[in-house]
Order: sequence, then C-alpha cells, then structure tokens
Amino acid sequence: MARWGMVIDLKRCIGCYGCMLACKQEHFLPPGIFWGRLVIGETGKYPAVTKQMYPVLCNHCEEAACVKVCPTGATTRREDGIVIIDYDKCVGCRYCVIACPYQQRTFYADGSKEYFPGQGFTELETIGRELYPLQPGTVVKCNFCAERIDEGLKEGLEPGIDREATPACVNACPAKARTFGDLDDPNSEVSKLIRDRKGYQLHPEFGTEPSVYYIIR
Amino acid sequence: MKPYEWMVSYTPQTEWIERRGILMWLAEVFGGLGAGLYLVALYFNSLWGMLIGWLIVIVLKGGFHLAYLGKPLRFWRIILKPQTSWMARGFIFMLLFIGFGAIQLIFSYWLPGTTGEVVFMVIAGIMAFLVAIYTGFVMNYVNGIQLWNSALLPLLFILTGVLDGLALVMAVGMLGGNFDIVAAEAASRVLLITAAALIAIYLWSATYMGPAGRQSVMKLIRGSVAPILWIGVVFFGIILPVVISLSTYFAGEVSASLLIIAIISEMIGAFSLKYAILKAGTYGPLIPVSAY
Repeated sequence: MARWGMVIDLKRCIGCYGCMLACKQEHFLPPGIFWGRLVIGETGKYPAVTKQMYPVLCNHCEEAACVKVCPTGATTRREDGIVIIDYDKCVGCRYCVIACPYQQRTFYADGSKEYFPGQGFTELETIGRELYPLQPGTVVKCNFCAERIDEGLKEGLEPGIDREATPACVNACPAKARTFGDLDDPNSEVSKLIRDRKGYQLHPEFGTEPSVYYIIR
Repeated sequence: MKPYEWMVSYTPQTEWIERRGILMWLAEVFGGLGAGLYLVALYFNSLWGMLIGWLIVIVLKGGFHLAYLGKPLRFWRIILKPQTSWMARGFIFMLLFIGFGAIQLIFSYWLPGTTGEVVFMVIAGIMAFLVAIYTGFVMNYVNGIQLWNSALLPLLFILTGVLDGLALVMAVGMLGGNFDIVAAEAASRVLLITAAALIAIYLWSATYMGPAGRQSVMKLIRGSVAPILWIGVVFFGIILPVVISLSTYFAGEVSASLLIIAIISEMIGAFSLKYAILKAGTYGPLIPVSAY
C-alpha cells in the first residue's frame, strides 16, 4: 500500500497563490475557507533580508494529533496515509482545530455565506454544493484530493504522475514546485527529492511525522 | 491580526474563546465550579451543596457544551473514542458522574447512613474529581499551545475547582444549609495561598516551555490579557479573599457581609482564570523564521 506524501521545492515556489486557488476551485470551498495557504515571512535585518514563502496545507501526519483527539472517530488516517474527515460523524467540537499544531483545519460555521453577499449563490456555488457538499457545523481540511486519487487508482492511473489522479494544487503549480507520490517507494520522485535534496518537515519537534516535506537546497 | 500575519507572528487560538468559543469557556468554568462544589459538599456532608453542584454540571456545563457543538444532535458520538481522546473520556466521566451522583443523592436523602450511600458517595466523588480535572488534560494534550502544554494545568484546575467549591458551599451554608462555615473558611484560607503559589509556578514554568509559552505569559502579565489576570485573577480571585479571610481570622468571627464579598470575589477569580488561560493560548509561528 502506498503512503502518499508531497514535497514542496521552496526554490521553485514563486508565491503565485495558484495552489491555493486551484484547491478552492477543485473543492468549491465557501468564502473564508482555505485548505491550503501561502505563508510569507521575512527574516534578517536590512540589507540582509530573506523572504520566506511557504505553501502550507494539511500535513497528513503519521502521528496526527487531530486523529488522536477526535472524540467521535470522524477524523481518521487511511492506510495510504491520507487523514480524512467523515463529515457525517463530526460533531463540531473543534478539538482537532485546537490540537493541530500547524493550524490547518477550519470550522465551517456558516453554510449560507455567499461570495457575493445579497446576490444569492452563483451557478458555481450551487453546483459546488451538489458536487462537493460540505456540512456546516463540521470541521473541514485538505484531503490530498482523495477523490481524485481514488478514482485515478480505479482507472489504473498513477497519482503524482497522471494529472487526473494527482492533487489539484500539484497540477496547478506553474513552477512545478510540488511533487506528489509514494513516500514508501524509495524510487519515487518524492523519495528521491527528500533523500537527495535533504527534504525536511515543518516543526518535527511536535512529533507528528508530517507527510509533507520541504526542500530548499 | 492581519491575514498576512497568520502563523507568521504568534497566533492566538480563537476557537475556544472568541465568538461562540465563549460557550466553551463557560462550560469549563461551570464544570470546575459544579464538580468542585460537589466534592466539597461531599466532604462537609451538605446535601444541598451536592445537589446544586450536580445540577451545575448537568445544566450549565452540559448545556454550554451542547450549545457550542456544531452538530449538537450528534453529541452521543463523543463517547466513541476514549482510547485516545480526552474529550471522549471527559464526556464519559460526566455521564458517570451524573448517573452515580443521582443515585448518591437519592441514597443521601432517603437512605442516609447506609452502606449504599457511602459506596455511591465514593464513586460519585471520584467521578466529580475526574470531571473537575479532565479539562486540564484536554488542554495540556495540545502541544501546539505551549502555555497549555504543562503538567501543572490539570493540578491547577482541580485545586481552583475545590477552592471555588469551598466558596460556593459557604454560600449554601449562609442560605441555611446545615454546614460548618468556619471550617470551610479556614480551608479556603490555605487553598487560596496554595492556588496563588501554583498559578505563579505555572506561569513561570510556562516561560520554559518555549518561545510561544513565553509570549503567552508576556500577554498575561503585561499584554492584552493583563487586566484579566491582575484584576480578575490576582486581585479578586486571590488578594481580596485572602484579606477578608485574614481579617476574619484575626477578628475571631465570620462576618456575613464580608463573606458574601469574598464569595463573589472568588467567583470573579474563577471566571477570570479560565478566561485568561484560554485567551492567552498562542501558537508559535509556522514557518521557521529566525526569531522563532
């Protein structure tokens, strides 16, 4: 069984926010909800200032805090490493939102929020509610486009290689900063990148063992 | 906080204190008050105190928890994962406390002095202790918020729960319950000093938990949450009750009006302490900037 993971090349990322928007579009996310973000910070003092741009998303951790704290079992980790939420089981206690040290989960509070307030839902929002219904009152987050991966695998496609089976954010990146694949396959692109270019995880001191790696060399 | 500061600066937690998060704060406060009152009433054998404590847990703690849930009708699912979730465990403790507490109250009212009463007093007492302490574990499990990630937090919650229970049981005694107010007042005096020391040690040790812990403590001591800490927790929660308690000790008698002031003051302290800890909970920056 594969263990899906992602590598993000920070030397390639140009901070275009394309990944954020692709995710929003793919999942018809409501206003104010982002499953991936671009976090930009600065370090150093003038004139030696460095800008740090980090695309962040759910890390689908091996030792996910959200899985452990969920009192209903709504948040689980699949065998392939993807951490998913069963919206029918979530009670909206938000313990997982608090517990995630990366703050990559969001409580979906108001299902009536419109992108153009007072003008009703757009056609896209209406379609989105049918194609990808989220439940107000539950917690939502990135799922590595699990539906794309599952459908792709059924059709014999390879996630990370075939676009139809690959997460939207990976496909959307114009700089090809994101790579998706099987972390347990030593010959996969992600494993080679981590090994050869010293991929690292965000805040390993939390002990969560993220499946998202960053490379900067 | 501006959007571009999110998880680049120290980011406060908001889910359990802002907007509807206020309900979570109230649930935690009333959980401590109710369970603490029950425990103290058990010790002093005050049936009214036990009943009121039990009702506070069911109606107020339970009610605010339910009101906070995004899907309250699914509340029964919360017991499904006690293997790893402190919230599931806490909900089970609450249910057991409600059940065993009800049986104990029945025994104490209709069959006082029987073995059954003693057995259920012990069991319900243990459950009340667990109800008072479990929120500390719920919070200290969160390693992203260094202020909360302290072994002292459950201790602080149980101690302040008992302290607040003593204040409430004195109020019950003043309203006519058959109860030794002087003894409760004396116990309160000791616990107030202990609570003050424990709060100071907790905050001091939080500065060693990491940069986010230090940031949270700075916020508490001289930042946006400082008024709540110094006025609510320190002055109303500790100093005023201690002064009143000492004046009672040296005067040799318990003044009803001063006692009422002390009880109200301690309640302000109880609400302020949990508010301050929830409000000051801060996540460290996500990206590895050099300042972090």
